[in-house]
Amino acid sequence: MSTETPVAAAATTAPPRQEGGVMSRNRGVIATVITAVLALLWLFPLFWAVLNSFRVYEYTQANGYLSFGGWTTDNYRQAWSQGNFGLHMRNSMLVTIPAVLLTLWLSSMVAFVLARFSFRFNLTMLGVFLAANLLPPQALLIPVFRMFREIPLPTFMSENGSMLNSFWALILVNTAFQLGFCTFVLSNYMKTLPHEIYESAELDGAGVWRQYWQLTMPLVRPALAALATLQFTWIYNEFFWATVLIQQGDKLPITSALNNLRGQFFTDTNLVAAGSVIVALPVLVVFFALQKQFVSGLTLGSTKG
Amino acid sequence: MPRSALVTMAASRRSVLRGMALGGLALGSGGLLAACGGDDGGGGSSGSGTTVKFGINEAKGSGPAYDRLAAMAAAYTKETDTKVDLNAVDHNTFQESVNTYLQGTPDDVFTWFAGFRMAQFAEAGLITDLSDVWPIDGMNDSFKEASTAPDGKQYFVPKDYYPWAVFYRKSIFEKNGWTAPETKDDLMSLMDDMQGKGITPFAFGDKQGWPAMGTFDILNMRLNGFDFHMSLMAGDEQWDGDEVKLVFETWKTLLPYHQEDPLGRNWEEAATSMGNGECGMYLLGTFVADAVADVADDLDFFTFPELDSSIGADALDAPIDGFCVAAGGQNQEAGKAMAKWLGSAAAADAANSGADVPFIAANSGASTSSYSALQKKSAEVVGAAANIAQFMDRDTNADFANTVMVPSIQDFLKNPDDIDGITSSIQEQAASIFG
Repeated sequence: MSTETPVAAAATTAPPRQEGGVMSRNRGVIATVITAVLALLWLFPLFWAVLNSFRVYEYTQANGYLSFGGWTTDNYRQAWSQGNFGLHMRNSMLVTIPAVLLTLWLSSMVAFVLARFSFRFNLTMLGVFLAANLLPPQALLIPVFRMFREIPLPTFMSENGSMLNSFWALILVNTAFQLGFCTFVLSNYMKTLPHEIYESAELDGAGVWRQYWQLTMPLVRPALAALATLQFTWIYNEFFWATVLIQQGDKLPITSALNNLRGQFFTDTNLVAAGSVIVALPVLVVFFALQKQFVSGLTLGSTKG
Repeated sequence: MPRSALVTMAASRRSVLRGMALGGLALGSGGLLAACGGDDGGGGSSGSGTTVKFGINEAKGSGPAYDRLAAMAAAYTKETDTKVDLNAVDHNTFQESVNTYLQGTPDDVFTWFAGFRMAQFAEAGLITDLSDVWPIDGMNDSFKEASTAPDGKQYFVPKDYYPWAVFYRKSIFEKNGWTAPETKDDLMSLMDDMQGKGITPFAFGDKQGWPAMGTFDILNMRLNGFDFHMSLMAGDEQWDGDEVKLVFETWKTLLPYHQEDPLGRNWEEAATSMGNGECGMYLLGTFVADAVADVADDLDFFTFPELDSSIGADALDAPIDGFCVAAGGQNQEAGKAMAKWLGSAAAADAANSGADVPFIAANSGASTSSYSALQKKSAEVVGAAANIAQFMDRDTNADFANTVMVPSIQDFLKNPDDIDGITSSIQEQAASIFG
């Protein structure tokens, strides 16, 4: 992005077109080379992990990782069964999907009010939502842990009768921490909707609820799709809260369950690499399937229409 | 934030929650009553139909260690008709989150380590006094001592242990006519001979930070004695005193006989270089065999030779694993009853017949028929040892071990000449941690 801007500027401001063209071509080559090197540097560990996830540990241990050979797909089979990934993938989905839906639903309501009405406290409210984003979640570890410990839940919601060790805890925590960002993005997006639509809707007798549900929500669907993609990735990848709030092995989401592949002393790194690839797959699928939304999500609300 | 989210959620699902609250009230009180009934009726021997929650530090399907614990749980159910609710968490996660685990909603019985790590929880009131389940048939005094907190009560039931020793390949020693050294002179001449034949005497890797602690432990025990080692670990001795400096000085003279650049090598890689004959010996726990499975049958070991004849060589690191009862557990009596049974010879036999690889049972009454040659020898060596330490990161404050000693030992390995600087920095940090 930043490399394109000077190029465009050079092309428009310099009157002799040829010179500008030469300049930009040179810069373009340099930029491409630098980007390519950076991309390679960044991709190398990933590529390396994928490559070695297809190799037998004994072979790489005996011949070193710079060798070539010892190919196998057993690591994937073993990672799936030893890590008990079926169960943990299910746990991850049970946390991620409700959390994403809940986040989008709650934040869209807040955003609607913040964007649609001009109450005195609107700006303050938006500020409060954003301020929570500035606080590292880790700083709230102990208060949240203690609070959840004191919250009783009926046993059909949580076997041991406390908020700890239940999916409810993870869904709530993730929702709470993502709410600020989603509200910010959605309210900015909603502000771009023309005010006249609401005036005519009101004239036609649509109440506030109807303006929210039947008018605003369909119009912000692109923003919701983009946010859903981002949120899915973030909540699915969340590791910290799950390790703190869940103490029962069979309730851990898949990111934390990756540790199942490590031994007490001995760790088969190739196996862990295979496990990591499996864990990363859903995110990759979501990313490639919804790539358009993902990219637009990154720039969402950055311009006012 | 979480609060507002809670409120919003509650408001939007008011009717659902109202139903839940009512149901929860009924269920919750029912659960309480049931728990009371269990306590009265069980009374220690845990009657039929009781459920005991058992937290274990091995993930499901992680191998023999899990199989053994699961076999123990199954055998307990069979024998006493007590249902065992297994909560399997992988070893490292369990260890890292044990503080929140014990303060949150812990299981009744859980797997843990003997020594300082246990004593810390005993002092904090997080684990239950088990002195009424002791003595346990077949547990000797050294195990009882390892289960005792500074207040003189037992809080722990041992399950198994493994020794740290110097491992080598029998065939290589035979081929070269080498024998296990017993004195410092033997050791020095053996190492010189190895170097003369182009073999690095000691394999060495400290990338993970903890393996070199084993070297520090054994040198300290050989040079300053077991009692000094233990009180140093407990924070009662000076880290910048002459004794600790002597340990580092001696280590420095031995470093040329170790593999170079240990910080870039993990223990698996170091073990491999011992397995393929590049290095002659490796000081590590018996788990070294996991990394060199193909030559495991060729492995043998000896305890680190004496360095000071007035101190001898009768102490070693042999970490003991076992069980504690969580003070926050819901069924204390059932937990205690199970903990007592877990220490029995029957429990050890059930574990060892339920897995491919046995452990070395702490209970002397347990059958040794399934032991490998290495394990039989381990049991002999540990049985003959006068004093058993638990390994540095279990014998001392975990924060001190991980945040002070790991980087300090790594600094020493990087720059062995700065012993004064390193020891005084350790002492400063030790003073602030131990107070």
